[in-house]
Amino acid sequence: MRLISRRSKEKLIIAALVALTGAAVIPLLWIVASIVWNGVSVMSIEFLTSLPAPFGSTGGGIGNAIVGTLIINLFASGLGIPLGILTGIYLSEYAYDSKMGSAVRTVVESLSGVPSIVIGLFAFTLIVLTFRHYTGIAATLALGIMMIPLVAKATEESMRVVSNDLREAGMALGIPKYNITTRIVLSMAKGGVISGALLAFARISGETAPLLFTALFSFYWPTGINQPIATLQVLIYNYAISGFADWVAKAWGASLLLVLVVIAINVAVRTLGRKKYGGA
Amino acid sequence: MATKLVTEKLSAWFGKKQVLKDVSIAFEERQVTALVGPSGCGKSTFIRCLNRMHELNPGARVDGKVFLDGLDIYGMDPMEVRRKIGMVFQKPNPFPNMSISDNVVAGIRLSGDARKSDLDEIVERTLKSVGLYDEVKEDLKRSGASLSGGQQQRLCIARALAMQPEVILMDEPTSSLDPASTSRIEELIRKLKSEITVIIITHNVGQAARISDKTAFLYLGELIEYNDTKAFFESPKSPITERYITGRFG
Repeated sequence: MRLISRRSKEKLIIAALVALTGAAVIPLLWIVASIVWNGVSVMSIEFLTSLPAPFGSTGGGIGNAIVGTLIINLFASGLGIPLGILTGIYLSEYAYDSKMGSAVRTVVESLSGVPSIVIGLFAFTLIVLTFRHYTGIAATLALGIMMIPLVAKATEESMRVVSNDLREAGMALGIPKYNITTRIVLSMAKGGVISGALLAFARISGETAPLLFTALFSFYWPTGINQPIATLQVLIYNYAISGFADWVAKAWGASLLLVLVVIAINVAVRTLGRKKYGGA
Repeated sequence: MATKLVTEKLSAWFGKKQVLKDVSIAFEERQVTALVGPSGCGKSTFIRCLNRMHELNPGARVDGKVFLDGLDIYGMDPMEVRRKIGMVFQKPNPFPNMSISDNVVAGIRLSGDARKSDLDEIVERTLKSVGLYDEVKEDLKRSGASLSGGQQQRLCIARALAMQPEVILMDEPTSSLDPASTSRIEELIRKLKSEITVIIITHNVGQAARISDKTAFLYLGELIEYNDTKAFFESPKSPITERYITGRFG
């Protein structure tokens, strides 16, 4: 009697867990499904490669926004990834136990908690107000700063898990610390560092708030970084609230593209992780 | 017999805790000296003072002198000291991100002393000297971590030997190995002393008796007895030594 009740209790708990997990997964699937449903119809070569059509006419595409997001992300990565890696190395290998280290760690952690719009405001004040025009440089700065804590954390964590025996082996051979750090520890940790950098890239690919008052938007191909530049994120924002059916459809298309990129990066990171920890 | 390495009143601390007290000892050149003693007696700390590794621990302190060929190593560049006085650890620790051959020459390459042209020759010669070459010559490019425990330890010895050190310190190099691998390494140690001074910590008094020329007994951070291995085991002077080697504690 008792055994049966225990067994049915178990079943009840499993059922509850399945239901709750479903409740968590359903909105996610719903979002992805509605993006695919609404976005897939506008997908075409023209959509991916052309400039927006002039007002009132249909057709055209989001080519300039794709290029713009790529440019800004790449420049931001050029700023955020090296600084993040250097910060991570410092925290893991040179200041792990020190007061300076924990001060830097606190700053880095706080930075990752700063709302992106505040970082955008900082870039706006520092650059847009100085140059007196909207510019991709300010967007690059804002997104680059956002990448630093993500990359630093990933670097520090993946370097910390490298066994201390290997650092000792290096020291005992008379290898200078900078070589132990870069050629042994960082080399062992590189999978985690690359994953961290890719996830940071994916993360900034979705950031919109800091772009609204830095890169702003443009209906033309970018010809440099120091000018207003269209991005997928701001395009989605502008088009979605425009009220034109054609633009709203294009916003769905741009969303689909963005989601695909982010999913692709996450899958790549997972594959990388499996390769690293699953042997072979 | 010339002395190679001499300590004078060597003391060491972890924070406030003194783990080594005034150890004075002279190691003979091209001899194997075994350091024995119960766990926590300061053996590891002692040899880590000999290549200036102890001072890397936060809060660690060393007092006293260590002379290599008459020169105080605490007045030398620590990197230079560690190139002259190599070390092999208890747990084999080849660099897993490097191939077998890169492991052997890691010290040469990464300490900025890359005589690139003869690295292959050094790999072959060193692996032969530790008896590993025939076992791995087909896959020198495989990861060092893919070897068995005993092979990894011989690879680590090769990595230390490739630096052409004058002294090699070994911290219980066989304690994590099976008996067959252990006897291969013991054989290797006996062979090494024709060219190099060996100081080996062992937990196993039988091993000390088998491979060493001299034996030192450390107890609670102090050097209790230091003698020719034969005399050390046949007629220990101190009653504590006698109790230790007859297995009454340890």
